[in-house]
Amino acid sequence: MLAEGSASPDRRRLLAAAVAVFLARGAQAGEAAPAGKIRFGLTPVFLNNDLELLGRLQGYLERATGHPVSLITRRTYQEITALLTTRQIDAAWICGYPFVTHRSELQLVAVPLWRSRPLYQSYVIVGSDSEARDVSDLAGGIHAFSDPDSNSGFLVTRALLAEMGLRPERFFARAFFTYGHRNVIRAVASGLAGSGSVDGYVYEVMAQIEPELTGRTRVLRRSEWLAFPPVAAPRMPLDEIRLAKLAEALLAMPAHLDGRAVLAMLRLDGFAREEASLFDAIAAKVYLLARAG
Amino acid sequence: MLSRLDPRSWPITVKVPLAVASLMVLVGLILSERVLARLADTQERHLRDLAQSYLDGLSSAVAPSMLRDDTWEVFDAIERARDLHRSLRPLETVVSHADGRVIAASDPRRHPVGSSSEERQRVQVAGAESFSFEAGADTATAVRKLSYPGQTVGFIEAVFDTRHLAAERRGVMLALVATNGLLTLLLATAGWLLVARMMRPVTILTNHLGLARGVSAVPIAEDVVVRQRGEFGRLFRAYNALAASMDERETLVKKLAEEERLGSLGRLASALAHEINNPLGGLFNALATLRTHGHLAHVRANAIGLLERGLVGMRDVVRTTLAVYREEKRPRDLVASDLADLQLLIAPEARRKSVSVTLENALDGTLPLPSTPVRQAILNLLLNAVAASPEGAGVVLNASVSGGLFVASVRDRGPGLPEAAAQVLVGPMAVTPLRDGGGLGLWTTRRLVSELGGRIEVDHPGEGGTLLRLVIPLRSAQELSDVA
Repeated sequence: MLAEGSASPDRRRLLAAAVAVFLARGAQAGEAAPAGKIRFGLTPVFLNNDLELLGRLQGYLERATGHPVSLITRRTYQEITALLTTRQIDAAWICGYPFVTHRSELQLVAVPLWRSRPLYQSYVIVGSDSEARDVSDLAGGIHAFSDPDSNSGFLVTRALLAEMGLRPERFFARAFFTYGHRNVIRAVASGLAGSGSVDGYVYEVMAQIEPELTGRTRVLRRSEWLAFPPVAAPRMPLDEIRLAKLAEALLAMPAHLDGRAVLAMLRLDGFAREEASLFDAIAAKVYLLARAG
Repeated sequence: MLSRLDPRSWPITVKVPLAVASLMVLVGLILSERVLARLADTQERHLRDLAQSYLDGLSSAVAPSMLRDDTWEVFDAIERARDLHRSLRPLETVVSHADGRVIAASDPRRHPVGSSSEERQRVQVAGAESFSFEAGADTATAVRKLSYPGQTVGFIEAVFDTRHLAAERRGVMLALVATNGLLTLLLATAGWLLVARMMRPVTILTNHLGLARGVSAVPIAEDVVVRQRGEFGRLFRAYNALAASMDERETLVKKLAEEERLGSLGRLASALAHEINNPLGGLFNALATLRTHGHLAHVRANAIGLLERGLVGMRDVVRTTLAVYREEKRPRDLVASDLADLQLLIAPEARRKSVSVTLENALDGTLPLPSTPVRQAILNLLLNAVAASPEGAGVVLNASVSGGLFVASVRDRGPGLPEAAAQVLVGPMAVTPLRDGGGLGLWTTRRLVSELGGRIEVDHPGEGGTLLRLVIPLRSAQELSDVA
């Protein structure tokens, strides 16, 4: 009884220590990077609010990587970029513009292939009843931009004006951001804005999905071909293996049935490894703006 | 035509259903007005509540964006609110700054961003918070002022489609009109049937009274009377009693007339007897002369001549009397010689009273008038005139035809016809014969002339006496006037 009584505290102490260790580990796992969970950020580059697409993408990535996947969406590009540069997420599908401006902190994971090329255009669109013939006719109107961190939805048009020695806030009577390419099309279609800067890829896809919406607009100007919005990761990855698996899953998408389904919804052909030099054209525009001030 | 338009002249079977219909229309109008007013209240309250919830939702969605002047967010909020409140049917929504400049509108083409209209500023200055809906209108308007701690940030102005409410109101109105119209028609028909049924005894009575306007009242058939209960039953029995008494009276009157005829006959008979009696003495004298001196030829011839003249005179008197009082099997028309007969007939009575009767006969041939009643009527007047004339005076009978009228006038030099007697001739038919028995002849004359469709005129010429004139339309003229 006594022997047992003296042995009992030790055993209890041992148990408590074991529980403490277990709890400590659990707490660690909960707070920091969850064990093996891939956090993948999405900007409203493509069709937003499509829960079915998000579900399928998550399902494919989980099966392909073997890791649980969390898809993270935010309202603005800036928020996603910030998560990426502060290394809170493994990777994110961002725009070429923030990729260029945060080049030193980011690495390129994969670039989507649209119509077999990692390229797309930026469109300036107007209402279908507009009589404007080129961008200079839009002076004094109301313009809808997509996002201040978007290449196609802001940078391209701004650079175009800068080449003419103009600034959007003076060229247009009014300009506002809709934080979504689809919203730009809606704003122009409804007449809220006279013109808008929109992702050419999104516009073409929308023309197939919602022809009655794009039907109320027309493309006034198409830009040169530019690098497609890429999937990027922090230069110092959160987890090398997880990132490698994610890249592998993205590149292998066309090979899998559910991967092809996701690509079909996105109207994309696949993902490819590309050199960062693909984004030099965008970088040139950033440089132009920096010089223009 | 005008009298038919006068409602007072309409039959009761029309008046009662019309009154019922008018009351129903009045009740229907009042009820419809109440129902529609209530409906408008309900619609407005319902719409106001929905509009409030729409504006509440939109206000909370756009207020922060308004502060940031975020056109897109405001526009997106308007679009989302429109999808959320489909049942309210928002037609147009405009979100503007406090100064009226548009931030975003559901139709940016009508209300471009940054534009400001005077109309909207006026609305916003006039009533910061308002809701206007008129029953039956196609749209309703609501304005909401947005304040952010104490300061006016802007306004939301929304226009809602209320055509479905107007349609509902029209539907209710149609249903009310149809229901009320049908009810009115039903009740008016029921009223008509009911009144027609209630008025049937009155119609029967009216028809019988219409028949009674002729000679005598026709009683209502006994089976009809038996079937009718209540006050109309009593009325029918009372009417039948009246008809019976009228019938009795009519019989009595006929009897009286007959008696009068016999009475005048009696008077004439006594005059006739007198007339025959006078020459009788002479005739007996002639007979005695014949018996005594018959062998003397000149005496005999003289006596026989005397006898013959006396007998011829008596024969004429008797023949005339027979002619006047013969029961004629077939009525014949009046001839000019009938008046000469009358003169003969009255002659004995006239002679007895030493009155001369003069005939001014302008008639010629046959007149289309029944002979007997005309002769009787003139004889009565002549008898009356002779009786009224003083000794030695003259009575003049004048007869003529002019303009389809037979006119016979009898003038005497008497003291003038008393007013009561004149009333018997020309007064209302209801006047009865004079109580003392006199005037029965006049009363009979009146009846005879009336039955022939004629009239009697009483005149008092300036030189004294009385002038009575019978005016009787000739039968052909009378028939023509009946046709007309």
